[in-house]
Amino acid sequence: MHNDPVSLLPHDSGERMVSPVSASPGAAAPMLSMRQISKRFGPVEALAGIDLDVRPREVVALVGDNGAGKSTLAKVIAGALQPDAGLIEVDGTPVSIPSPSAATALGIATVFQDPALCDNLSVVANIFLGRELRVRPGGPLDEERMVLEARAILGDLTSGVTSVRRPVGELSTGQRQAVAIARTLTSRPRIVVLDEPASSLSVVQTAEVLTLIGRLRDMALGVVLISHDLSDVLAVSDRVEVLRHGRNNGSFDSAWATQEEIVAAITGASRVGEGNRRNR
Amino acid sequence: MVGSQSAMREANRAAVLTALRRHGGLTQVELATATGLSAATVSNIVHEYSDAGLVDVRMTTRSGRRAQLVTLAHRTGVAVGVHIGPRHMRVAIADARHEVLAEQTMPLPNEHRVDTSLDRAALLLVELLDRIGSSYDEVLGVGIGLPAPVDTATGMISVPGILRGWDDVAVTHVMEKRLGRPVFVDNDANLGALAESRLGASRPYRDSVYVRVSYGVGSGIVIAGRVHQGFAGTAGEIGHVMVDPSGDICQCGSRGCLNTVVGVPALLGALRASRGILTLQDLVTLAVDGDPGCRQVVEDAGTVIGGVVAGLAAGMNPQCVVVGGELGGTGEVIVGPMREVIRRRVLLNHVAPLEVVGAELGVRAEVMGAVMLVLDNTDLPTVTIEPSTYGDGAIHA
Repeated sequence: MHNDPVSLLPHDSGERMVSPVSASPGAAAPMLSMRQISKRFGPVEALAGIDLDVRPREVVALVGDNGAGKSTLAKVIAGALQPDAGLIEVDGTPVSIPSPSAATALGIATVFQDPALCDNLSVVANIFLGRELRVRPGGPLDEERMVLEARAILGDLTSGVTSVRRPVGELSTGQRQAVAIARTLTSRPRIVVLDEPASSLSVVQTAEVLTLIGRLRDMALGVVLISHDLSDVLAVSDRVEVLRHGRNNGSFDSAWATQEEIVAAITGASRVGEGNRRNR
Repeated sequence: MVGSQSAMREANRAAVLTALRRHGGLTQVELATATGLSAATVSNIVHEYSDAGLVDVRMTTRSGRRAQLVTLAHRTGVAVGVHIGPRHMRVAIADARHEVLAEQTMPLPNEHRVDTSLDRAALLLVELLDRIGSSYDEVLGVGIGLPAPVDTATGMISVPGILRGWDDVAVTHVMEKRLGRPVFVDNDANLGALAESRLGASRPYRDSVYVRVSYGVGSGIVIAGRVHQGFAGTAGEIGHVMVDPSGDICQCGSRGCLNTVVGVPALLGALRASRGILTLQDLVTLAVDGDPGCRQVVEDAGTVIGGVVAGLAAGMNPQCVVVGGELGGTGEVIVGPMREVIRRRVLLNHVAPLEVVGAELGVRAEVMGAVMLVLDNTDLPTVTIEPSTYGDGAIHA
């Protein structure tokens, strides 16, 4: 009843997982590496040479003011936007991410701020939408297995969603967020991008999402977390990357960084290099 | 499969209880979907439990329809336990039999702010109460455990500088004003000691020590079944015993405190060059999984802590030392070296050998202690029930 969600996931048969013992988090090579990513909308320079690395078993938080480029960068990672310039590498191989399905194929899953769910469909139908489980390839849908797996994922993700057969339209904002995250987990991702996952949640739901992010990390996934709540960010992230006007403006080790330092970097009171205590 | 039917019935019953504990209150329909059992089975089990007084059934509305809300029975009111640690907060609502009705953990940032954290604690407990269908006036009181020595009269940290930013806040008064219910505050290791001595590993013993090995080390001392606070609440603060005369300066201002040697920054720092950036949870997982470097670090910490605990044990002659906190989760990796050092250094008498064991309540010990603190300090007809009913495997860490 209280199983580790990891063990219940359909794809978690072991072949993908990095064994915890062999994994050495900080020393591991980046799964996702972005260099000098730029994106311009007419005169607006949304991203101006952003660098970002995401390693397995690492939660990287992107923070910054409105318009700093967080969501644009998330869209680039998700394949929803094409950068004008820059290099993206996945496992050391240069790639382009021309579409969201290309991102999925690369093991990148994204949950956007306002998750696109079908209100008229049930929770389980939403979770498996477009990748329904079948009894055999080309055969009928395996309803039972989808219900069981949806229940298993959700059971440990949130206590809010009690019935996986309820239409999503009846759920609260927090419960919808839980469904969106559960949906992400069925696509065997290695990197999960969460854009403001807790922005409209109650405290208990926020606590659940934060706990879930920790579990994604324990599954050896790389997580990119976009949030403006510094308390939440520092609670679950390993590293905080500050963006300011589409540029990197500091990288902080979450275990030691103070909110003051990060706020200073966000607001521009300190510039790159100052207050950067990553290598302390 | 002989007896499989009764085994299945047992499993179904347990599933219903577990679902109620996790979700707080559920309608029968929700219970069926949450457990995967049939509506008839759920109905039977709820009936059975209701007759036995284990669950309460009351009318409610769901999606505009009338439905029966099922909750675990808590007629005598509920006690709220809050444990605010360095990097997480845990809130549990329990009834007078220490049965946890709802609980939630929330990660916290390093050096979290007193205002934000107390605010979140209040919001969490209100939301959890709502979830189990309880009203505010059913709350007997709120117990709060803090990771620093506490003056229990005011809830203020009694040693300045140990918990940054919390020095001037009378937690008891702030929270009583906010919640309008009695609030009791104590050191988290003391609460862990209370819980372990009542429901956990030191239950059979009169005198015991609970060592909480977490981001820092603290201990709770139980003498003749009662937690010994000391005059200002600083008893058992072994994290500030000097172990390295030429060591670093501690948060408290002294040199070479135990915490500077076995605190989390020191332990993770030692692994940084070879293992990269780890969290405390990574360290525990890797040590349990047999990573030699992480084991080494935890074992060495156990030896140093054991030396300090041996001094404490020589002074108070306990029957049992219980090792808890996050690093207590490594089991024998840390308990083994501690036992060895303690047994070597403490005068072993032939009346009662000194036991050194892991905590039974795990990471829940502190929050359960906070619940007991409330139950101990509020007027309530005590219900005696076999402590073994506690938890029954439904611990959801």
